[in-house]
Amino acid sequence: MSKLTEFTKGYRHQCVLGPLFKLLEALFELFVPMVVADMIDSGIMRNDMGYIVKSALLMGVLSLAGLAFSVTAQYFAASASVNICARMRHALFEKIGTFSHVTLNEMGASTLITRLTSDMNQVQSGINIGLRLLLRSPFVVFGAIIMAFRIDPKSAMIFVYVTIALFVVVYAVILICIRLYRDVQVKLDRVTGLTRENLTGTRVLRAFRKEKDEQRSFDEANTALMKIQLFTGRISSVMNPVTFALINTATMFLIYFGGVRAESGVITTGALIALYNYMAQILVELVKLANLSINIAKSIACAKRINAVLDTDGAMREGDTKVIPDDDTAVEFDDVTFTYPGAADSAVTGITFRAGKGETVGIIGGTGSGKSSVVNLIPRFYDVTSGKIRIFGRDITDYSLDALRMAMGIVPQKAVLFSGTVRENILWGNSGASDEDIMRAAETAQAVDVINAKGGLDGVIEAKGANLSGGQRQRLTIARALVRRPRILILDDSASALDMATDARLRKALAELDFKPTVFIVSQRVASIMGADRIIVMDDGVISDMGSHEELLERCGLYREIYEMQTGGT
Amino acid sequence: MKKKGLRRIAVYLSRYSGAILVSVILSAVYVVLTLLLPLIAGDAIDIVDRYLHDPAYQGKGWENDLRFELVRFAACFAAAAVVQRIISLVNNSVTYRVLHDVRRDAFGHLQELDISYIDKHSAGDLVSRITSDADQFADGILMALQQLFTGAATIIGAFIFMMRANVYAALLVAVLTPVSMFIAKYIASHTYDMSLKQSQTRGEQTAFINEMITDQSVVRAFSHEKAQLEQFDRINDLLTERSVKAIFYSSLTNPTARFANNLIYAVIALAGAYFCTEAGGAVFTVGMLTAVLSYVTQYTKPFNEITGVFTELQGSAAAARRLFEVIDEEPQTPDADGVLGEVEGNIDLNDVSFSYDKSRKLLENVELHVKRGQRIAVVGPTGCGKTTLINLLMRFYDTDAGSITVDGTDIRDVTRDSLRDNIGMVLQDTWLRSGTIRDNIIMGKPDASDEEVIAAAKATHAHSFIKRLPNTYDTVIGEDGGSLSQGQKQLLCITRVMLSPPPILILDEATSSIDTRTEILINRAFNKLMQGRTSFIVAHRLSTIMNADVILVMRDGNIIEQGNHAELLRQNGFYAKLYHSQI
Repeated sequence: MSKLTEFTKGYRHQCVLGPLFKLLEALFELFVPMVVADMIDSGIMRNDMGYIVKSALLMGVLSLAGLAFSVTAQYFAASASVNICARMRHALFEKIGTFSHVTLNEMGASTLITRLTSDMNQVQSGINIGLRLLLRSPFVVFGAIIMAFRIDPKSAMIFVYVTIALFVVVYAVILICIRLYRDVQVKLDRVTGLTRENLTGTRVLRAFRKEKDEQRSFDEANTALMKIQLFTGRISSVMNPVTFALINTATMFLIYFGGVRAESGVITTGALIALYNYMAQILVELVKLANLSINIAKSIACAKRINAVLDTDGAMREGDTKVIPDDDTAVEFDDVTFTYPGAADSAVTGITFRAGKGETVGIIGGTGSGKSSVVNLIPRFYDVTSGKIRIFGRDITDYSLDALRMAMGIVPQKAVLFSGTVRENILWGNSGASDEDIMRAAETAQAVDVINAKGGLDGVIEAKGANLSGGQRQRLTIARALVRRPRILILDDSASALDMATDARLRKALAELDFKPTVFIVSQRVASIMGADRIIVMDDGVISDMGSHEELLERCGLYREIYEMQTGGT
Repeated sequence: MKKKGLRRIAVYLSRYSGAILVSVILSAVYVVLTLLLPLIAGDAIDIVDRYLHDPAYQGKGWENDLRFELVRFAACFAAAAVVQRIISLVNNSVTYRVLHDVRRDAFGHLQELDISYIDKHSAGDLVSRITSDADQFADGILMALQQLFTGAATIIGAFIFMMRANVYAALLVAVLTPVSMFIAKYIASHTYDMSLKQSQTRGEQTAFINEMITDQSVVRAFSHEKAQLEQFDRINDLLTERSVKAIFYSSLTNPTARFANNLIYAVIALAGAYFCTEAGGAVFTVGMLTAVLSYVTQYTKPFNEITGVFTELQGSAAAARRLFEVIDEEPQTPDADGVLGEVEGNIDLNDVSFSYDKSRKLLENVELHVKRGQRIAVVGPTGCGKTTLINLLMRFYDTDAGSITVDGTDIRDVTRDSLRDNIGMVLQDTWLRSGTIRDNIIMGKPDASDEEVIAAAKATHAHSFIKRLPNTYDTVIGEDGGSLSQGQKQLLCITRVMLSPPPILILDEATSSIDTRTEILINRAFNKLMQGRTSFIVAHRLSTIMNADVILVMRDGNIIEQGNHAELLRQNGFYAKLYHSQI
């Protein structure tokens, strides 16, 4: 939790002043009866109308001051709680930005989303209510206890006992509730996940008439959530009646022993009444405090979930080399083996190859043969299990991730765009690009007509690029990678949705790029890679053969087979 | 809208009216008990007092009297505690059940809504409505249930006590105190607007979060972390600003109402004091004034609390509005009663026109007549509107004009389920759910046996990679397929259809990420499958296109040519140009 207190920096004065002002307001309210008493004693008794009016005015002023204090307190509480959580959200989002692919996959998107939204909201409202009430109630309680001691220390011990008993109860309930509320949030993760999945898969789900099944599994998750909420409610609502009963039991003892002590002449009836009143005051405050503690328990549970993410060391170890040197060899794999976390077998084994600067490397092979895994290692999305990768002569782990990835233009297999304009999407590749730069990249990517179809660079793209066809998306993602003028360009099966003619034009344009990147093309089509300087043929996670198109045709059976199948008019 | 929102909440609550009635009655009981407690305690203290000051009373078993009072006291608070416990249980139960119902209905309604609604709304915003907004809505209900009734009962209780003590004073207080309610109402209406803005911005932020978190891999690829954080901060700052306002405003009611009540208190004190003095005719005694003032305090306290509840409820009402917007959205046109049995696969598009944006024309007056077992290839440059055709055939969208019939039956005359039962669809955008490999394959046939599943997977050559997964068919894949390759995902999507192939097939670039060798093998399987089945194939592969019975050539969203390969070449139009550019 220590990490979380750091977010209060800059708002600590508000966190202190908020409750303090709340306290002042309460004190001002206490003055009012005194003023009234004074009004009666000095005003009415002496028939002094002027004094009465003055007293009434004083009451007005006191109320106004009380209002001012209270409004200030409320503002501080609102401002501090919201701002602290805004920072926390910022930090959490930033933290997620450091997570590696492995960590992201392990955690799953849904729980991260609930933590950034629902959990944050709970923490915020906990802090807000806490700041408004937390100081006031204990102050009143301890004040009352001290007053009780001044009247009769022996009777006052009852106050001490009951307070201790209550804290034990409150503490226990909080402890239990923290766990329960964590379970509630876990169940909420599931509800969030199902809703997301349902929305992204609507078409397939409806095509398979899964609406009812979806409803059923949502109902299950939703009912599970309700059950745990009901259970939590059952536990947390023990707090109020128990508090109530405990304090009234204490009151009972107080009156009885007070009566006994009054009989022996230790205290007066007046003192007994005063003790009783203090107990009544404590009751009101402790009931509030009990309610508050439930809120706090909820907040703590959620804060813990947030903290767990903040504490996750999900980032890759980066090197500190920020400048990527020049070298004749752009990419070199040295006996690289890679196994996905949790997988039984390695995805690729013993991969060794070298790509010279400015060369084009084609990678071809069967589905699941490890083509994508190889290119995913180049931008260091994953770390190798064994072996070495060198980028421009230095070990890949020497570089900072930023430097490494900024030198690359990556077109992922899945063409993903984001809601925003066409321009905003392409600027991902290079935030400093001018419109001419964008259009030049678009020309190479054969995306000019896509941009025109959307009404220019200001055309709107929906989330996930939903208002574009697969081919349109692919061409924009290629433009996005090219606008960076990368030193290494990776095209991971990124022309699969393009028709042959467009694909051919794209390859021609790529070959004519003035900045001469080292290009990796992963493809199923021989046509896409046959012009490459070096072709890697992958088979079941290993390199089956490597060479130019002609060489491979001559000696690699697998390659020849693919080639013949694709050109032989199947 | 606000009124309507409240009415909708009332409808949901009314399902639990019995429980709510119990809660109301018990609240009244609880209030009576809590008002009794100080009276009993007073009696007990009186006994002590009498013992000390009344010599006649001494030695007459005062301790027994005291014990008796204390037993009454204990019985009373024990009863109150039990009642309070029951009230909380009832309130909790009502709140979480209503929350459950609203979530269930919202999600259920998503299944009924037009696909266009889901296409147009961001998933993140909808998720936010079903999670965050629903939570805020429930918080409000719980608070209302807990405080509204006890508050109201306390007001009534206090008022009765006051009436019994002094009728005039009671009436004076009763007339003046509700002033605070007007102030509260004014603040509350502002709070509602601000809370709505807060909820909207929260929805926007969730949409952004959802989009970015889902595709963090792209963010990594472009080192876009800093930029995405900046964008996040912009929304975050706006949300902060709006939240502070909404929360601050909603928390103003209580102090303001208290201020109003304090002023009233001062005015009553002033007036009372005046009437106590000689100038005022001394019609009032000091004792009366003290009593009136103590009633004012007692009576206004619950008012303060209730006004507070009312404002905080505004936040819930705003959240409820966003939730009910989904539930109240017009569902897709209801299914007709007809059921389409297993069809032969004759499909006719009669003079069909359709567009998404009614101001921009797309498909116009399309005539297409397909007989059972025919293969229809859809070709055209990327982005030419092939998806539109699928949307219409699957009835994800309805035509604007004209009709689509299957075996002569208008597809609008039968249930969507029975239509979709007859169509197998493999989309270019693979979609897998989190679950096991098996879960994903059996979507179309939940009761499939292991043998059937394996046979289907063998036909699509997915079996060879599945059997190498850690738990083969029981391997759990994460959200969106986890670390499976795109080609493997496609194989799974094809296996899904292969398991129980319906009479009509739609294959949209179904094998685009699959290697040629496997593709050829799959195509062989497909060819066998397609015999006797009507199939629509979106493809680039010339051989596939050339062998089709009908080729639909699409461009700029419309069908511009149709016919078989030879016919289209003879026409020497767009297709011919496309064909010649590829060989």
